[in-house]
Amino acid sequence: MNRPAAYPQLLYLIDLLRELIGRDMKLRYKRSLLGIAWSLLNPLAQLLVFSLIFSLVLPLDIENYASFLFTGLLAWNWFQTSLYAATGAIVDNRELIRRPGFSAMILPVVTVATNFIHYLLALPILLVFLWINGFSLQASGAALPAIFAVQFLFTLSLSYFVATLHVTFRDTQYLLGIVLLLGFYLSPVFYDISAIPDRFQVIYRLNPMAMLIDAYRQILLQGQMPGWQGLLALSLISAGLLLVSYRIFVRASAQFAEEL
Amino acid sequence: MSDSIIVEGLGKRFRRHSGDRPWTLQEAVLRGFRGLKAEEYFWALKDVSFRVLAGKMTGLIGRNGAGKSTLLWLVGGVGRPSQGKIFTQGKIGALIDLGAGFHPDLTGRENIFINGVISGLTRQEVARRFDSIVGFSELGDFIESPFRTYSTGMRMRLAFSVAVHTDPDILLIDEVLAVGDMAFQQKCLDRIEAFKRGGCAILLVSHDTSLVGELCDEVLWIDAGQVRAQGPAKLVVQQYVQEMQAETQRRTPSSWPAHPLHDGGELRVNENRFGSLEIEIQDVRLLDVNGNAVTSLDSGDALRVELHFNNPQKIPAPIFGVTITRADGLVCYDTSTASAPLQLPELRGRGSVVLQIERLDLNGGEYFVDVGSYKNDWSYAYDYHWHVYSITVEPQPGEKGILRPPHHWEIGNLEGLEEIIIKSHGKES
Repeated sequence: MNRPAAYPQLLYLIDLLRELIGRDMKLRYKRSLLGIAWSLLNPLAQLLVFSLIFSLVLPLDIENYASFLFTGLLAWNWFQTSLYAATGAIVDNRELIRRPGFSAMILPVVTVATNFIHYLLALPILLVFLWINGFSLQASGAALPAIFAVQFLFTLSLSYFVATLHVTFRDTQYLLGIVLLLGFYLSPVFYDISAIPDRFQVIYRLNPMAMLIDAYRQILLQGQMPGWQGLLALSLISAGLLLVSYRIFVRASAQFAEEL
Repeated sequence: MSDSIIVEGLGKRFRRHSGDRPWTLQEAVLRGFRGLKAEEYFWALKDVSFRVLAGKMTGLIGRNGAGKSTLLWLVGGVGRPSQGKIFTQGKIGALIDLGAGFHPDLTGRENIFINGVISGLTRQEVARRFDSIVGFSELGDFIESPFRTYSTGMRMRLAFSVAVHTDPDILLIDEVLAVGDMAFQQKCLDRIEAFKRGGCAILLVSHDTSLVGELCDEVLWIDAGQVRAQGPAKLVVQQYVQEMQAETQRRTPSSWPAHPLHDGGELRVNENRFGSLEIEIQDVRLLDVNGNAVTSLDSGDALRVELHFNNPQKIPAPIFGVTITRADGLVCYDTSTASAPLQLPELRGRGSVVLQIERLDLNGGEYFVDVGSYKNDWSYAYDYHWHVYSITVEPQPGEKGILRPPHHWEIGNLEGLEEIIIKSHGKES
């Protein structure tokens, strides 16, 4: 497809992204009275259950556990719901894929971005918890957008991959569910990274989500800047991974219309 | 003028998987990733070459599964050619699968924005055209109601309206001109004509050969993935229609018991009956307004044509047609369920199709009512009865021609004092 110059093309893609995200958001909230509250209900319920278990049944002895937990939960939920939705990004948008001139490559971006918005919408509640626990946003809060960007990049690189895989293997979503369940326990969502024995620390920190969740906590709970070397390495690795998975996606995309 | 579409030596190969291609990773792993490679390939298109100039319209005709739609997708950039090249110049608009991408829970307004942008417009461009889109769709205040509350006609009108407001340089159309009522259809055709004048190159896929012959400059007849004929529209359409007739003759069984008719006549294959007989039209009745069988009627009377058919096998979406011809072969009226437009369901067993003509405004004379049932892509007839049923329209002395519209004469007195109206002797309804 021949397109006009790059600049108008970029403006167009931004409009397209905006409309597709708008569509997803509108559809989610259109027919429910609770509206936006729905996307908050799930993390709040998780928060309630985990707080009860790990402060009463199996006390973990973590200070300000609600804030601690919620920081991890929200970041993890963004990652998990994005990947989960990305499996259907191609398969559930058959009519878009078959539109002449439609750029399928935008679809995984739409899923990650839509879920990022849900994440942002839940963020004020987290701030309320932080305030109750006596925290206030320090100067380190300025580093948050950078962490968002790294997590976005990392999630997107995996999203292209699962979206492509799901076109060929329609059980990708189920398998992903299992992998994500394992990932949830292997990431420091409800426990602290320091609880991991020293000899496993190095391996454990190779988990990108462990690094990201830890970075969020350093910024929000300790008011410190996160460790930049690790994050820089992660963003470079994510960018490399994105290049690879994007190319796989583009190569496979010629077949999408046939396989759907 | 320059070429807007150039297709050179285009071939498209599809993978045909064995029936038990694993669709899940679990199966694939269990079977050691066997069966993932295609067992065989088939060519959906082969050696297709053509050009469409800016401001010209090319029609694609052929049977179902011949590869017309595949060609349209490829020109639209959906999928990649296995062989050859496709060159397109400018923005591509598509009238394919109208209504896909419109979400039932969103309002007309929201759908216009989403689909406008998906079709290649920026938000600003959609906003600027918004009023024009709503105006063309004739939806008025309904534009703020959810799409699901619209009738089929309204949905189609809105989808068409968005599609024609995208200023394409190339327009791809697949069987969507039969949108809504007659007035709106005409509006759509006018708009397409305007696109042509404005320098838009158009590719049209349709089974309606007369429409293709009328609208297009050139026609490609595609048969089993290959170009069977290409050239001036009228010529190629004529060849195609002849081929359909030949195909019908080929499929007509050489011997079949003569079928007695209730008026004493007989249906004999290859004489007055042609077709594969997958659907048998067993009885045809010409009835007047009171439901009585008629052989003659007055001009302007109602005529009801009842076709009683039987098909032991399931037939998907067949087409039924009725043609009224004068004894000398002139076609006075030809219509079909497909031009209604009416999509018949899959049929099986006995049933009937009725064409109710409110007024038969033909001049006096002898007419034949030819009836037929056809495959859903018109590629051949199942059962066609030629010059079996006739009807006489009572002649009016002193009148000639084909039509006899309802009419009367009015003569004004020169002084303007009095008006004398002389009514015709024809029927008034």
